[in-house]
Amino acid sequence: MSAASRDGAATDDDAAFSGGWSYTRKRQMFLAAMATPALIYVLAVAVGPMVQGFLYSFDSYNLIRPGSRHFVGLDNYLALWRDPTARRALINTFAFTFGAVTLEFVLGLCVALLLWRDDWFNRVALGLLLIPATVTPLVVGLIFKALLSPEYGMLGYPLAELGLSGPRGLLADPQRALAALVAIDAWEWTPLMALILLAGLKTLPTDILEAAAVDGANGPQRFWLVVLPLLMPAAFLALILRMMDAFRVFDIIFVTTSGGPADATNTLMIYGVKQGLEFFNIGAASAVSTLIVVCILLMAAAFITVLKPGRNRHV
Amino acid sequence: MSDRDRLLLIVRRLAICLVLVVALAPVVWLFSIAYKPTRDIFASPPTFLFTPTLDNFESVFRYFKLGALLESSLVIAIGSTVLSLLLGAPAGYALARSESPRAIWLAYFFLIIRTVPPIATLIPFYLLMRDIGLLGTWWAVIILNTALNSSFVVWMMFSFFRSAPVSIEEAARTDGCTDFGAFIRIALPTVVPGLIASVIFCVMFSWNDFLYAMFLTKADTKTISVALLSAYGTKDISWGTLGALAHFSTLPIVAMMILLNRYFVQGFTQGVH
Repeated sequence: MSAASRDGAATDDDAAFSGGWSYTRKRQMFLAAMATPALIYVLAVAVGPMVQGFLYSFDSYNLIRPGSRHFVGLDNYLALWRDPTARRALINTFAFTFGAVTLEFVLGLCVALLLWRDDWFNRVALGLLLIPATVTPLVVGLIFKALLSPEYGMLGYPLAELGLSGPRGLLADPQRALAALVAIDAWEWTPLMALILLAGLKTLPTDILEAAAVDGANGPQRFWLVVLPLLMPAAFLALILRMMDAFRVFDIIFVTTSGGPADATNTLMIYGVKQGLEFFNIGAASAVSTLIVVCILLMAAAFITVLKPGRNRHV
Repeated sequence: MSDRDRLLLIVRRLAICLVLVVALAPVVWLFSIAYKPTRDIFASPPTFLFTPTLDNFESVFRYFKLGALLESSLVIAIGSTVLSLLLGAPAGYALARSESPRAIWLAYFFLIIRTVPPIATLIPFYLLMRDIGLLGTWWAVIILNTALNSSFVVWMMFSFFRSAPVSIEEAARTDGCTDFGAFIRIALPTVVPGLIASVIFCVMFSWNDFLYAMFLTKADTKTISVALLSAYGTKDISWGTLGALAHFSTLPIVAMMILLNRYFVQGFTQGVH
């Protein structure tokens, strides 16, 4: 932070000295002091352990065999690459993320367009619509585990009767379990996507929309040529936030399938947590964590490059 | 309003009602099973009709130390929220008021920290807490939650402060108000919605978390979400009991969101403006 605020020195407009420091200099010191505790805390408690984890990823380190920790270079990463379960988890994570974010974006946009008009009905509807996003994710998993049960579930029973799922239910069907989880995630997070997109819609300049209508653009033309391009900044924000969250999905999968059947819903998070906190294989788990962080950072970098902060104040 | 407009409005509202049914039915169902006798929950084919009972709530009190579970969840949520606001609000202010172009990058740094996968910090943090003897205490969860929550508060307060007017603050400082005084007395009151939104999100993230609490707490410090997970799959605990227990884990947050809906919405959409 101190480096960041020192740059402001160029705008020094008050040379009144007090105690040897200029007004601007004191102001910068004050701002730096305000930001430093949070920065130090985050560096110590979040970044520190991450770096530590990164270092563990080059060690053979298993808590079950204490004292056997030693440096093995890239072995953990090579082992990941050779492990079909890990490869499957990587593919599943990307498939889940892509599927969930796409579905949530399309549905969220539809809901946002439905709620665009600002009246009491839509405000109440929006409030109620956000309930799924506030339900404990763990509980969401439990709800759908029960609802999708082929024997007594309100959804699972008819699906099984109609032959749309295997006899043991969607979540036990290797072909469809991941898709079912995408649907559960969409149930939980589409409202939030809709909320961010709706906020974007409400910032659109009405004169442009009216001009398009006056110029004779019909509904679909107005949507594709005017609304959607203007909505891009909000859409990017919604997409990247959901993408980063979906990539590290854990709770709903852990509760419903725990990665099964036959690794069909195993994701990197599930794989990593099992390696680390069930098998106590810290080296392998750390390599998985590093892989997840790299994927997320790449996605974040892509987002920031597209939006170019600083030049465009409207994030 | 022409007939066509009126018809369109009705169609829109019907569509919204349909969306609401899809969004709310699973939650209503979860709460409803708490009042169902076990044989009705497991009726195959499933049935909508049942004789309401409070037996499931009785089993919640029989099998769980509900008071202790709620206390854990509450202590962790409040502790982490207070710390996150104390750390995050001043930093968000500093980044918003800094004239440096690099301030926005620092703000992005905090946003990205919030999105780091829990596993990347959890394992090294678990070992650290074990070594310094905090494993199994509320502090372990509070400290880790605060790292992520305070990052999010920095980001949120940064966007709230950035859209708050600077001129009154500057006038106050010119009149001899200290920097810190201007922050406390002038800047903070203008971003009360942001502070409320921050509280909502911190409480929600902490209360709803179960991965950290699962590995960092022990039997007498575990939270209600950990209890829910361990109850699930236990022979004695029926779905009805889980539904009753879920009342206590879900309703406080849902109630908070509904009561403070305006701030919830504003908090989530602030970044868009």
